[in-house]
Amino acid sequence: MAVVDKNRPSPEWIEHLRKRYPCEQEIDRVLTRKLERRAGPPYAPVTLDLLQAGTEALLRTQLSEPFTISDTRWLSGGASKLQMAFVLHWNQPGVGRSSTPLVLRMEPSEAITETSRLREFQIIKAMEGKVPVPPTYWIDAYGEYLPYPAIVYGFAEGVTKPSKSSSSVSGVGTFIPPEIRETLGQQFVDHLAITHTFDWQQADIGAYDRPAAGTEALEWALNHWERVWEEDSHEDVPLMRLTMAWLRRNMPPVDHVSVIHGDYRLGNFLYTEHDLRISAWLDWELGYLGDRHEDLSWSAKRQFGHLAEDGKTFLVAGCLPIEEYLARYERASGLKVDPQRMQYYDLFNNYKAIAIVLATGYRAPLNGKTHQDVLVAWLSGISYPLLEELRTQMAEVL
Amino acid sequence: MELRPSFQIPALIKSLTDVVLPAVDPANKLAQEQGQLVVAMLHLMAQRLPLQYHYDCHELKQFLGLADSLAAHGAALPELGESLAALATDVEAGRAVLSRAGVAPAELEATNLALRTSVGAAISASAMAADGPDTKAINAAVMAHAQEMLLRERAWLAMQGWEGPNAGLPAVETLIGD
Repeated sequence: MAVVDKNRPSPEWIEHLRKRYPCEQEIDRVLTRKLERRAGPPYAPVTLDLLQAGTEALLRTQLSEPFTISDTRWLSGGASKLQMAFVLHWNQPGVGRSSTPLVLRMEPSEAITETSRLREFQIIKAMEGKVPVPPTYWIDAYGEYLPYPAIVYGFAEGVTKPSKSSSSVSGVGTFIPPEIRETLGQQFVDHLAITHTFDWQQADIGAYDRPAAGTEALEWALNHWERVWEEDSHEDVPLMRLTMAWLRRNMPPVDHVSVIHGDYRLGNFLYTEHDLRISAWLDWELGYLGDRHEDLSWSAKRQFGHLAEDGKTFLVAGCLPIEEYLARYERASGLKVDPQRMQYYDLFNNYKAIAIVLATGYRAPLNGKTHQDVLVAWLSGISYPLLEELRTQMAEVL
Repeated sequence: MELRPSFQIPALIKSLTDVVLPAVDPANKLAQEQGQLVVAMLHLMAQRLPLQYHYDCHELKQFLGLADSLAAHGAALPELGESLAALATDVEAGRAVLSRAGVAPAELEATNLALRTSVGAAISASAMAADGPDTKAINAAVMAHAQEMLLRERAWLAMQGWEGPNAGLPAVETLIGD
């Protein structure tokens, strides 16, 4: 069998993957760019001064009046992107001279999730006023002004977990106290229902391919994640092969194409502790047009919730028992929850999660491509409990 | 199992070099010095780890040679009588171990990797076949293999704590003996 050097991908191999796994155009673009750049240098640390200069260069193309940037500092959180907080002193349209706290969110050389800033920017703009999202201001979609593609966000207020709660990296293992579960849980349901019933046909989301009814959206998604597995994995995993074959043979058609958040879960929303209001839904980078059951299944994963005080009842997002969660969703959205499709997307989601943490979570730090290789490498260890979960799910369907 | 030292150590070095050490107080000379030494030690480990097994085999072989010389030349010296008797026991044990020492770990890892790839391709190819007893048996074999492998992999990484303290994972040592 011919050995492919995935650390130095040849143009022929890249082209082979593009043909074998056709997916959305913008996703194809970012995955192809990732491979074309892979043999290049590893991620080199950037300074706050460099990011400030790049941000100023970007803003000069967007603002006609003088501005200054101050108070730059690093933010932590998340396993994927670099984040710099800063204050912009400017003449804000409709407001006048202002000092606005903002966040620059920039890709590293390769991220644990290789995604498009353009898609992220467009979907957040589209969802503004529908569900709480952080204000988005400007985008450097192709890294023309900054070292890598980036978005300038407003500084959303709130916390991802109770101030007194603990959790491991990336929000996994957060505990939600009983007294706030109902209020947060209902918003969690309502915002998902709004997202899934949003009329995307009229939205300005040109970086998204619009799937036909049937299985087209799912085929693109399967191609996307199998391509990621092929591009990034080191050790082949027989169970992943078996799972992908099953997923392809059992594709359910979609009855209602929805905006899918792609990472809808505890840890990816901010809420203000004084009034328990969800103030922003974060991390839309995995969004696409597809089947709502992906978000429903993903949000209900064991890793993104915990048991109630009785030690038996699993609480989705630490807030609601699964039956209650799905019943409320059906009422809020007017859309049915199909148990068979939930089961299908349980498998799909684990395949996707393992492709991210085991394949990309290995390849990116191996080549020194991120700003936090040690965190990404650590996270790759969660692959094995996920694979075990996938194994038990496969045992149920085979 | 992807989390092996050849993958982990460079990530540790990069984190220390790019993020942690630049943030250490320049006035704290003890922390500065030890930080630099940790990085240097990790570089040394990363460089020598692939050779460690060969090194130990070579060392054993060389000591066996020295022991042979001592036995040959010391046999006539009564002062060595007791020591040579003890030495003979350890030489015998050493030769037995050296005779069992097999291929280098890197070769074992590369062979596993190649076999995984071929197995994966065969599984994908089997998915193209019509359902029948043979494909069912293949699926069952993959599932059984996955169960065993995943128990081992999860036990290997139990210390990370992903499954909590009550996961009931056996000690990995009990899973990798023949």
